[in-house]
Amino acid sequence: MKEFSNVAENKYTAGFSTVTDTEDFEPGLTEDIVKKLSALKEEPEWVTEFRLKAFRHLQTITEPTWAHVSYKPIDYQSLSYYSAPKFRDKDDIPQEILDTFEKLGVPLHERDALLGLDTTKSANKDIIPTVAIDVVFDSVSIATTFQKELKEHGIIFCSISEAIQEHPEMVKKYLGTVIPSKDNYFACLNSAVFTDGTFCYIPKGVRCPMELNTYFRINARNTGQFERTLIIADDDSYVSYLEGCTAPAYDENTLHAAVVELVTHDRAEIKYSTVQNWYPGDENGVGGVLNFVTKRAMCKGESSKVSWTQVETGSAVTWKYPSCILKGDNSVGEFYSVAVTKGQQMADTGTKMLHVGKNTKSTIISKGISFGNSSNTYRGQVRINKGAHNSRNYTQCDSLMLDNSKALTIPVVMQYNNSSIVEHEASTGKLSEESLYYLQSRGLNPEDAISCVVNGFCKDVFQKLPLEFAAEANKLLSVTLEGAVG
Amino acid sequence: MLVTQEFTVEVEGNTILDDLTLEYGPGVHIVMGPNGVGKSTFAHALMGKPDYITEGAVQINGKDLLAMEVHERAQAGLFVSFQTPTPIEGLSNYQFMRQCLKEKDVTIKESLGEFKRIASEYGLPDQWDKKHLNVQASGGEKKKNELIQLELLNPTVAILDEPDSGLDVDAINTLVRRLTNYVETDDSRCLIIISHYQQLIEKLNPQTVTVFKKNGTAIQTDDISITQKILESGFNAV
Repeated sequence: MKEFSNVAENKYTAGFSTVTDTEDFEPGLTEDIVKKLSALKEEPEWVTEFRLKAFRHLQTITEPTWAHVSYKPIDYQSLSYYSAPKFRDKDDIPQEILDTFEKLGVPLHERDALLGLDTTKSANKDIIPTVAIDVVFDSVSIATTFQKELKEHGIIFCSISEAIQEHPEMVKKYLGTVIPSKDNYFACLNSAVFTDGTFCYIPKGVRCPMELNTYFRINARNTGQFERTLIIADDDSYVSYLEGCTAPAYDENTLHAAVVELVTHDRAEIKYSTVQNWYPGDENGVGGVLNFVTKRAMCKGESSKVSWTQVETGSAVTWKYPSCILKGDNSVGEFYSVAVTKGQQMADTGTKMLHVGKNTKSTIISKGISFGNSSNTYRGQVRINKGAHNSRNYTQCDSLMLDNSKALTIPVVMQYNNSSIVEHEASTGKLSEESLYYLQSRGLNPEDAISCVVNGFCKDVFQKLPLEFAAEANKLLSVTLEGAVG
Repeated sequence: MLVTQEFTVEVEGNTILDDLTLEYGPGVHIVMGPNGVGKSTFAHALMGKPDYITEGAVQINGKDLLAMEVHERAQAGLFVSFQTPTPIEGLSNYQFMRQCLKEKDVTIKESLGEFKRIASEYGLPDQWDKKHLNVQASGGEKKKNELIQLELLNPTVAILDEPDSGLDVDAINTLVRRLTNYVETDDSRCLIIISHYQQLIEKLNPQTVTVFKKNGTAIQTDDISITQKILESGFNAV
């Protein structure tokens, strides 16, 4: 627990901001802004059209209000839709930005990523990196590592802006096919003004040799972040993708509306893990990120599989339902979630599993932990279509509460055939004083005692995270709990 | 080692223990008394159980025990075995011990080896170290697990709350053997045992016997024959 003493004063360690020279758009959301954004990125006409179509539809719809969250109305005209640090090329990243990521522990240079080994001096050239990373700072991707190594396997791993330029046919084929721009208000907004994000393509029969990681950093004030991620796994391929994020502690809300689309072809598998640590606001609920995210996977091919694992500790408000459309016969969808809320945080998160193909299978394990005055809602929908014969779903929702927090579980099941089986288990528990007393009586301090109970509670989900990420999630959870013990 | 002066304990508005002045040095001490007189309350009040209100003074190895938080009392060398320890899902028996020992100079190899050895002596199932703490465990298994914790944490003052209850004959023999060995290998250890089990009492050669009374008071004596008297004629005889 020695690490704790460093963060005791400032529990959110990523809350600093970086002063750097930037190119910004003036605030406002208009058709001209959308065109200007598209022009700046030198996009082909079909992308501009994609954006404009979304923008026009946006004018006809309103934000969803069904979630158990509340926040001050967002003035979309007062936000800026583009902010990017100024630099000529990726070899010329300003020092202050390099420093930012060093402070956050994100390796921008490939040699740093090699477990701290300096390969320029090392005689051993055969060290295989474990993680390749794409780093997005506000509206732009500033570095993507190990692209060359991945290319040797035919894997494309780059920013979505680069993909639109270099692989337009592929982006055109898939963009908006899983999440149409008219899907919901925030997905529509994103479709109009998305700035950057990650594109991955794993070719037929390739097992991606390293974890692919995107790190999102919000830095600018009053700027929305609208990232767009698209991952395609072709027949018989496999990839494990990780996503991390942080933001400075500003006292106004920051809007983050992302769209993530995944497509798996025959027998392909995508494992998508998120550790979400956006700034949650202060103890009085001032500031913090509004995290309105649409994530969906299309298990298109037979026997394909998508696994969503998320550890959500940050954001003032979270509205997020990573989902799977199980279209291919025998396809599998999984959702493993740990959502921790404290102080005034509000989270409404869960998943949708839509069974279309025969013998499709889905598993949902959700662990909600709430402290203080926070509220934590699990919202799930399992729908088994008439033709989805012999399908199965297993859902388990557990919540752990302390203080005055609220936990809510809203599972919806729709089953339209007789050959499928749906199981649901739920539990709600208070973190008991008795357990904490017992653990402390053996010498554990209150933070460690809570951490033991909470880690145990989350174990099923943490086991699903890739190794490096599990350690990070554990650490993040400890730091989060540190502030929660009152 | 452990000294209480005018120690009074109040639980939910009722005075359970009244004005106890007791002294426990190295060696074994027996605590007896009728049901419901506050023997467990005594142990947990010393450990610092939340919502127990205490008055008076208690020193452990010369330090002010009552001024400490629960975990500080443990770190100062106090241990209380629980009658019904709470279950913790997802935390394995050994992992918990590892957490508790992380500040101490013990390697995983040493502590895990010792854990497994003691578990097997008590006849606990294989892989006991990996089982979750007090989850789906029988009363006897929980008791045995508390005794493993005692030996691994090696406190200077341990209060064992009816360690023999719920144990079968074989386990009781192991318990007697291990506790005898525990006090013999280090004569600075203080073991306060709440028990009415004569065989255990005789084998452990206690230094003192404390008898708790229904009015919340207690008497402490070094006349060990008192335990025999109680067994024959009941608590009213003393």
